[in-house]
Amino acid sequence: MRALGRWLGEQHWIAVGSPIVLFIAWEWASATDLLREAFFPRPSTIVIHLRHLAADGTLWDHAAMTLIRIGWAFALAAVLGVGIGLAMGLWRQLREGLDPVFAVIYPIPSILFLPLVSFLVPPGEIALVMTTAVTSFFLIAFTTTHGVRQIDRLVVEAAVHYGARGRRLFATVLLPGALPFIFTGLRLGLGFALIVVVAVEIVSTSRGLGALLWLSWQILKIEDMYATFFVIALLGAVLSYGLAALRTRLLPWVQDVTARSG
Amino acid sequence: MPTRAPKVLVNEVSVTFESHGRSVVALDRISLQAHAGEFLCIVGPSGSGKSTLLRVLAGLLPQSAGDVRIEVDRPGTPLTAMVFQEHALLPWRTVRDNVTFGLENRGVRRAEREARAREMLAMVGLTRFAQHYPHQLSGGMKQRVGIARALANDPEVLLMDEPLAALDAQTRAIMQEELLRIWATLGKTVVYVTHSLEEALLLGDRIVLLTAHPGRVCQVYPVNLGRPRGLEVRGSPVYGALLEKIWSRLREEVVRAMAEDRGGEHA
Amino acid sequence: MSLAVPAVLLVLWEMCSRHAIVSPRYFPPPTTVGWVLVDGFAAGDLGTQSLVTLTRLGFAFAAAAVPGVLLGLLMGMARPVRDAVEPYIAFIFPVPKITLLPFLLIILGVGEPAFVLTGATSAFFQIVISTLGGVQTMDPRLLEVGRNYGARGARLFWKVILPAALPAIFTGLRLGLGLALVALVAVEFIAAKSGLGHLVYRHWQMLSTPEMYAAFAIVGALGLLLTRGLRAVQARVLTWQEEVGRL
Repeated sequence: MRALGRWLGEQHWIAVGSPIVLFIAWEWASATDLLREAFFPRPSTIVIHLRHLAADGTLWDHAAMTLIRIGWAFALAAVLGVGIGLAMGLWRQLREGLDPVFAVIYPIPSILFLPLVSFLVPPGEIALVMTTAVTSFFLIAFTTTHGVRQIDRLVVEAAVHYGARGRRLFATVLLPGALPFIFTGLRLGLGFALIVVVAVEIVSTSRGLGALLWLSWQILKIEDMYATFFVIALLGAVLSYGLAALRTRLLPWVQDVTARSG
Repeated sequence: MPTRAPKVLVNEVSVTFESHGRSVVALDRISLQAHAGEFLCIVGPSGSGKSTLLRVLAGLLPQSAGDVRIEVDRPGTPLTAMVFQEHALLPWRTVRDNVTFGLENRGVRRAEREARAREMLAMVGLTRFAQHYPHQLSGGMKQRVGIARALANDPEVLLMDEPLAALDAQTRAIMQEELLRIWATLGKTVVYVTHSLEEALLLGDRIVLLTAHPGRVCQVYPVNLGRPRGLEVRGSPVYGALLEKIWSRLREEVVRAMAEDRGGEHA
Repeated sequence: MSLAVPAVLLVLWEMCSRHAIVSPRYFPPPTTVGWVLVDGFAAGDLGTQSLVTLTRLGFAFAAAAVPGVLLGLLMGMARPVRDAVEPYIAFIFPVPKITLLPFLLIILGVGEPAFVLTGATSAFFQIVISTLGGVQTMDPRLLEVGRNYGARGARLFWKVILPAALPAIFTGLRLGLGLALVALVAVEFIAAKSGLGHLVYRHWQMLSTPEMYAAFAIVGALGLLLTRGLRAVQARVLTWQEEVGRL
């Protein structure tokens, strides 16, 4: 209790208080029609609708669908991305050969790959998952390659001097050395997978959180829209910040670079 | 005078680098030797190829000409182990795992590795920090880990590439005394590269002075300062005279090298 | 940047398409796409559609950049502001900005404002975060030097804080522009009746694949040009910065 009090005291009370004040103000403004209730329904109403969606199973159904797609897409992007990223980091010819191809493909908005993917694989889940995986793949490959290349040359030289060659060098030096960057790439890749999957769900399917959002819009059930948005945001937060929290556990030797001044 | 073969024999070694289509001669027919149990210091201005020479000795860099021979007294142990200037520890390994790295790579069993690590960490005074990560240590401590790592491998010859250069003056002075103590205990043959003439005089049995651009052996000076030696030797007249003598020669080389750099700018 | 590998791939594609190793309907030969591209600009609406997308991008970027940099600077310099705003930024940053589209469509109606604003929000958060980072991670000794040499208040801001944060701000703007383009194209793909993103969608539905690939290529070229171009500008303008990032 005291720790909580201290934490709040360190000016975190503004951070916690600000959203609370916002919600109260919103509730009041919406009820008194200062904000059009049709556009900005009261948070209390939204919560009720959220409850309904959860109760009758709709929410879990759609959320599970989205999560499964993200899971598959991320697994695909991670395995391929780390694998190819490592290969590119280690072999200059491969890197120089693939670099221009990657550089051209990477900036293209992921959703535009949906048509392409639909030509290559049967329509349905596979197409959705693969489209979702594309940008994440490039992101992970890029960061992995960079992770390998930024390893201090002197450290590699010392390791070789002390007898590490071939596979041992890879396992004891190159892989651990690249790990912080690989981890960052995976974290970003996961976040991107969410972004793409939602967009893809809006366009091409009837199940999933993105689809639910769009459906709610089409039938103008605005409270459901807000509820769905909130769930997506929660998912985004968990995916983005969840992995980040694991970082100190998985990578105990990495110092936190971000220094907060003033 | 010992009649056996020297521990380290460098014979007419040259190293040439190709850079941007031009050849740069880093070392030009270097010949020197180190006797068993000797502390040999190599001093020279920047560009004299001191680090290059050490890397050739370590087998990290192939020489373009000449050969290097190291007497093997104990087969099965590594020929050399190097202490690097910027410690070059593996950041993702604990202090203890860094020290046992070389042993791991040679397939030494766990029990023996751990025993050796404990011994070496005790020798450098870092027993309490065995489970720490490098980023939690100060510069001096990191360098001590580097030394422990080299010693744990029990090499025939210990190579040291300006290991104290990155430390502040006080830590450096303390580490110099540490080094002398450890060396006196273990009796290893050491080849020690440094910029600092004072340091070379403090630590070495002999000093090899190199010229720059390209690196050549200019002169070899014996250091008659007796053992055991401590920091107080810096006050002795013998030290002062030697310092004066070698420095005046070294100064010529440094000035010449700087003039060439300037001349190179106009080229 | 070696163009050998992409060139080889294009040639391979050409041959496979012409010899029906891959279906030419789904993968028309690059030469066909090339002709359609040229034709699209000369006689067709590729030019106008590109302009539509670019215009939306311009507005979106402007709408994001100005408030974004200002908010970032404010948050960096005033702790209470940062504490108050940070939870919202942190909460919304990982949210797919496309989810804001349906809300904006209701509030602003189906039209340009909703599209542009969705694109703007994508850029906005990135710009705020990068700017904030630029102020927070600046070398605090610069502030000391500034104050020591008599710079206070506005002068300290313009002469020390802003220049020190400029590389990060610039990087944020660059990334933001890229994000805005991606978001806008996605919006066009999903909901708009004009723009390059919509073109890709329309030609996909009609299976007029050469036109689809042509629009696709323009989007790619646009993205490449903007990111690489801005990176070059950044390197030129901020000559003191050591290295401009890769992505």
